[in-house]
Amino acid sequence: MKYRLLAGGSVLVMAAALSACSSPSDSASGDGRTTVDVWLMRDSVSDTFQKEFTADFEKRHPKIDVKIQIQEWDGIGQKITAALASNDAPDVIEAGNTQVAQFAESGGLLDLSDRKDELNGADWLSGLAEPGAYEGKQYGIPYYAANRVVIYRTDLFEKAGIDAKEIKTRDQWVDATTRLNQGGTQGIYLPGQMWYALAGFIWDEGGDLATESGGKWSGALDTPEALRGMAFYEQLQALGKGPKDSDEDDPPQAEVMAQGKVAQVISTPGGANVIVEKNPELKGKLAFFPIPGKTADTPGSVFTGGSDLVVPAAAAHPDEAVTFIKELTGDTWQKKLAVAMSYVPNRTSLASAVAGDPGAAAMAVGAAEGHATPNTPGWAAVEAENPIKDYMTAVLTGGDPAKEAAKASQDITRAMNAGS
Amino acid sequence: MPVAVEPTSAPRTPRQRPAPHPAARRKPAGRAHGLWPYALIAPAIGGMLYLLVYPLVRAVLISFQDFRLRQLISGNAEFVGLRNYRTLLADPRFWEVVRRTFLFMAVNVVLIMVIATLVALMVERLRRVGRTVVLCSLVLAWAMPVVAATTVFQWLFHSEFGIANWALTSIGLDSFERYPWFANGTAAFAILVTLIVWQSVPFAAITLYSALTTVPLELYESARLDGAGAGRIFRSVTFPMLRPIFLLVFSLEVIWTFKAFVQIWVMTRGGPGDATTILPVYAVQTALSSQRYDLGSAASMITVILMSGVLVLYFRQMFRQEDETR
Repeated sequence: MKYRLLAGGSVLVMAAALSACSSPSDSASGDGRTTVDVWLMRDSVSDTFQKEFTADFEKRHPKIDVKIQIQEWDGIGQKITAALASNDAPDVIEAGNTQVAQFAESGGLLDLSDRKDELNGADWLSGLAEPGAYEGKQYGIPYYAANRVVIYRTDLFEKAGIDAKEIKTRDQWVDATTRLNQGGTQGIYLPGQMWYALAGFIWDEGGDLATESGGKWSGALDTPEALRGMAFYEQLQALGKGPKDSDEDDPPQAEVMAQGKVAQVISTPGGANVIVEKNPELKGKLAFFPIPGKTADTPGSVFTGGSDLVVPAAAAHPDEAVTFIKELTGDTWQKKLAVAMSYVPNRTSLASAVAGDPGAAAMAVGAAEGHATPNTPGWAAVEAENPIKDYMTAVLTGGDPAKEAAKASQDITRAMNAGS
Repeated sequence: MPVAVEPTSAPRTPRQRPAPHPAARRKPAGRAHGLWPYALIAPAIGGMLYLLVYPLVRAVLISFQDFRLRQLISGNAEFVGLRNYRTLLADPRFWEVVRRTFLFMAVNVVLIMVIATLVALMVERLRRVGRTVVLCSLVLAWAMPVVAATTVFQWLFHSEFGIANWALTSIGLDSFERYPWFANGTAAFAILVTLIVWQSVPFAAITLYSALTTVPLELYESARLDGAGAGRIFRSVTFPMLRPIFLLVFSLEVIWTFKAFVQIWVMTRGGPGDATTILPVYAVQTALSSQRYDLGSAASMITVILMSGVLVLYFRQMFRQEDETR
């Protein structure tokens, strides 16, 4: 998952990379203890959760020490590549669900198919389990999922006389947002390059980002369905002052909303915590609703983001790594994680853990219409280069949608097939 | 009006150097001294071989192999001869990038040379205070770390908070209200050129200025007495005198603009579309985004060959001219 709420500066990344390089993973000391080296992503766990989990884990497994390093989403693909190619890979790595296929194809990951039962593979979320598998083998173990919802300001909605529960269709949503977009208030802050949101609108129309035929993938942004999705994005984007040439990380949209002049943003529910952290005055004034669909009976389609845990083929302690994964993805800690971070647990049977959480409830509605990016190793190259972002900016700044879409589709086709 | 100063009469820089000390004066190298110098220099040479030559050789090898993510992780790359080069040379996108690289280099180098020469000539004519101020500013601009300068430029042209848009809107150009500079290929290209010229002029200007101070004043005086104007003096006295320095600065700027990677990567990553993708950016994109390390290496090799080509052409031209004037 690459929603990178707070993708930090590249300095941090480099610092993290440096420290990662300089730390030998193997530290089997004389007393028979082994250290399991783990990379988790920024915002995957909170500090408190990490401390509690580590303490509990080490108590239950006295022979294993846990060393967790938090990595930034920005540039993580290259960092994982480097780690897999080194002799000094970590034992467990958290990877975005869309990234696993590429690494699995390269032969750098351990095949965990025979541990599936042990890890409760029977009721894994398909949005995490499917991208974690490649050619019938399971490499990525589902960790957590999240999808986007609308975070809105209850006080501003009330002032404008809008009941968020009534918003069930796109038309109602646009109508409400138009009424909110007055005076100093932005109806919605939608940066021009939030391509996961665009993907949702395209799926609503029945289109897709790329399609496969005869084993060859090609970009599909220029289909009539995809163009309609973009047209809706453009309509919505105009109801606020989101910059047309950047994504939700630049500037971080949580900070923009924290300034208090934005009525809605599209974000994972965890984003609300960040907003309140930046501006405590907004505590209690934020709520959620699922992204509306075209008609009242289907919610808007969303990208099922999330993370899988993988074990590098070069890991020094694969057994301890699996033990770690088993604990972190087990009942106890999955429930705690879901509540602490507003995530969807990795298994359907645990969904009740977050039933009481309003963000998770909104997320669950959307999850029914969850989609994934094309499940092929080539997709990672598209995300790395991201012609979709350029396309969105081009259209929003007055380019001809059909022409720009054809160009972007060509770029996607090229990027997806470049590696083969 | 007869002009006395002919190109042929222009004095050349002195070619004679003080003769080296005769070897006879040195003590005959004894056995004890024989290995010492080599032992002392060995770590430096070893470090250089490891950090420069080894990666270079490795890159050459990779460019002849089938080398992707799989081979990076598991090893065992196969040699495929010239296949990577054939793939690249058959790709129209690659040629587009090559064309853009040369355009980028030409625009940058011409601007840098012209502006730097003008600045150098100006500094020479300034009085002490003015000269100090200008030189200090040049050094400061030069000392600015590349990434810092690039980030500053990025913010200058930020669509929302950029001072460029603010200034343009406040003088009444309303179409620049939140104008996204980096979404427009030509604008992004122009901003990058501005940035690189801004970063490169100080070095060129200071070098040319220090060379200018070595030209004997009498030459200017006699040229002026003979009735030469400013343009003529520059063409017939200054430029021939400084030809070696111009050559040096030119070559360095060609090299530097050809490999201007950091600025582009930080600012636009080669976008929008391919508008600012020059060869080094293309090589990195190919290698790291598409995981085609083999094609990326091949592209780098071609970059080196092309860059050497430019320099060789230019040197030949210069030497030919020198021969003619002799």
